[in-house]
Amino acid sequence: MMNFTRRGFVKLTGGLTALGLVSVPNLSAFASAKKRVVVVGGGYGGSVAAKYIRMADPNIQVTLIEKNKDYYSGPLSNWVVAGFRKLEVQKWGYEGLKKHGIDVVIDEVTAVDPAGNSVTTASGKKFEYDRLILSPGIGFKAMEGYDAEAQKKMPHAWIAGEQTTLLAKQLQELKDGDPFVLVAPPDPYRCPPGPYERASLVAHYLKKNKPKSKVIILDPKDKFSKMGLFTQGWKNLYGYETDKSLIEWIPGAQGGKVTRIDAKTMTVYTDMAEFKSSCINVIPPNKAGDIAEKAGLTDDKGFCPINFETFESTKQKNIHVIGDASAATGLPKSGYAANSEAKVCAAAVVALLNGKPVGIPSYVNTCYSLISPDYGISVAGVYKLHQGKILEVSGGVSSDKAMDFTRNQEALYNESWYQSIMADTFS
Amino acid sequence: MQRKRIHMMMLAGGLLGGMLMAMPVMAADPAPAAPSAADAEKAAKEKALAEAKAAAPADGAMLANTCAGCHGTNGVSAGPSMPSIAGMPAKYLEHIMSEFQSGKRPSTIMGRIAKGYTEEETKRIAEYLSKAKWQPVKSGPNSLTATKVDEAKGKKGKKVIESSKCGKCHEDEGVTQDEDTPRVAGQWVDYLVIKMQDFKNEHLSVPQPEKMKKAIDKLSAEELESAAHFYAGQK
Repeated sequence: MMNFTRRGFVKLTGGLTALGLVSVPNLSAFASAKKRVVVVGGGYGGSVAAKYIRMADPNIQVTLIEKNKDYYSGPLSNWVVAGFRKLEVQKWGYEGLKKHGIDVVIDEVTAVDPAGNSVTTASGKKFEYDRLILSPGIGFKAMEGYDAEAQKKMPHAWIAGEQTTLLAKQLQELKDGDPFVLVAPPDPYRCPPGPYERASLVAHYLKKNKPKSKVIILDPKDKFSKMGLFTQGWKNLYGYETDKSLIEWIPGAQGGKVTRIDAKTMTVYTDMAEFKSSCINVIPPNKAGDIAEKAGLTDDKGFCPINFETFESTKQKNIHVIGDASAATGLPKSGYAANSEAKVCAAAVVALLNGKPVGIPSYVNTCYSLISPDYGISVAGVYKLHQGKILEVSGGVSSDKAMDFTRNQEALYNESWYQSIMADTFS
Repeated sequence: MQRKRIHMMMLAGGLLGGMLMAMPVMAADPAPAAPSAADAEKAAKEKALAEAKAAAPADGAMLANTCAGCHGTNGVSAGPSMPSIAGMPAKYLEHIMSEFQSGKRPSTIMGRIAKGYTEEETKRIAEYLSKAKWQPVKSGPNSLTATKVDEAKGKKGKKVIESSKCGKCHEDEGVTQDEDTPRVAGQWVDYLVIKMQDFKNEHLSVPQPEKMKKAIDKLSAEELESAAHFYAGQK
């Protein structure tokens, strides 16, 4: 309703402006009893930006547009794949955000009009904004043979939900002795340690249930996040680098790069070999979510360059991009980083809309991975902006000398991390 | 420096020539070898990091909001093994952070995080969180792991804390807090159990008052668990 009347008003005054009767600054001064922020995407980034804007300034009208009624968290979804967690506890809704006075709209944004400061949705609604925040998550770059149909046979499970369930089912149905083939993505991608946590937890499942099977990771890279700790854990738990290893990692230098996929025959090809299985998990190269590309916000790498102080796009004015879609060089593409970026962006948007100077940002990342259900490791970082760069002023990974009780505590902290960050996101 | 050394090498090389060149240059120039490009890059990176670390601090809200991913919005934790820190005394929070930073207080992850902040930044975080309102913790809707307060265990716990005189410092059934003493009333059962296990853990040597160490060392795991249920059950 509010939107409708305002739109009517804008149309009317827009007409007057065109006749030179009302100047634009006057219009905004008069119409801006409430500034409008539209947030697109209600995950780890967008929901937090919406909430923290309202917490900082209840006079700003915030509309959150999200295409799905339910949100499924990516973090901890590897536990679901490995069969020791239900997808149901990964599911979150938007009732909590409504209590902050956020207008939650379940609809898909199909177009952004940067010149007109508006977005339109699949159902044909138009939303005008003073500032737009996009947090669309990831999309996938093309990979030969991996189309929408192939995704149903060889799930990526890199956007949680149905895909997670599908991969979990395929693992359950895997014949003992057949491999679980994991096609890892090239940098940069969502959740850097994620593929290796997944390999670990699938190995944990295989050890108990299908001891003749193993995980084969086909990787275009030669190193990966938390690599030392993962390989240490794999040696401790899964016989890594022995002939009975439950995990085999084939790096790019040894021909790990997958060049072609054939979903019909359930085969993936590298330059050197082919791998067949009933269970092939393909995580394609990542890029920013489609809407970011459509809005002309992406660079040649497929992500959105932004100003690190405000997360405003360097390509379009009044549009901010946060989370995995942004090219926040220096920060990892993690859920926690998205949360942190959202808060920096929210504070900047509140300042900008109130005509105040933008404050100094501070960013943090904290990310846990499990190697088995009671063996956890972490990476953390504190970041500051200095001379235009985001620099990690402190941080690092868990000690490689940690004792069992510490690994066990980090596994507990992983679940608690999830509870607190989800509460910070959705309630 | 670098240019000077190169000149010297050229000179020596010219004078001595051929196969004799390398050795006499080393002998004539006892200074360490010219820094490599990698060393120079490393030094520049370290300098930039040191400058970044010392650069002007963000405001309290900006800094403290980065804690919320683990400790909950405004420090009200929703994760059973993460402590709620909302409304704790600023001096207490600063003191704990400084111990994490120096390594005096063992931690899994907090040491790595605490080292990222200057004294002023830590102070701002602590002040901001100290002004937040304490709320008794409640489990998130999807939590599988939170231990609920068990009243029977809490009753046993009351006896334990009375005989161990916990109330001498943790006054008013754990509600009291000051510079040295955190509030424990209404905290998570799981967090309190983990912390007391840490206090007993000979590999960790967590800083704690001598009388607390003595009291805790005497108690069994079961007794400590019941004490956690008692304190967690207080409002």
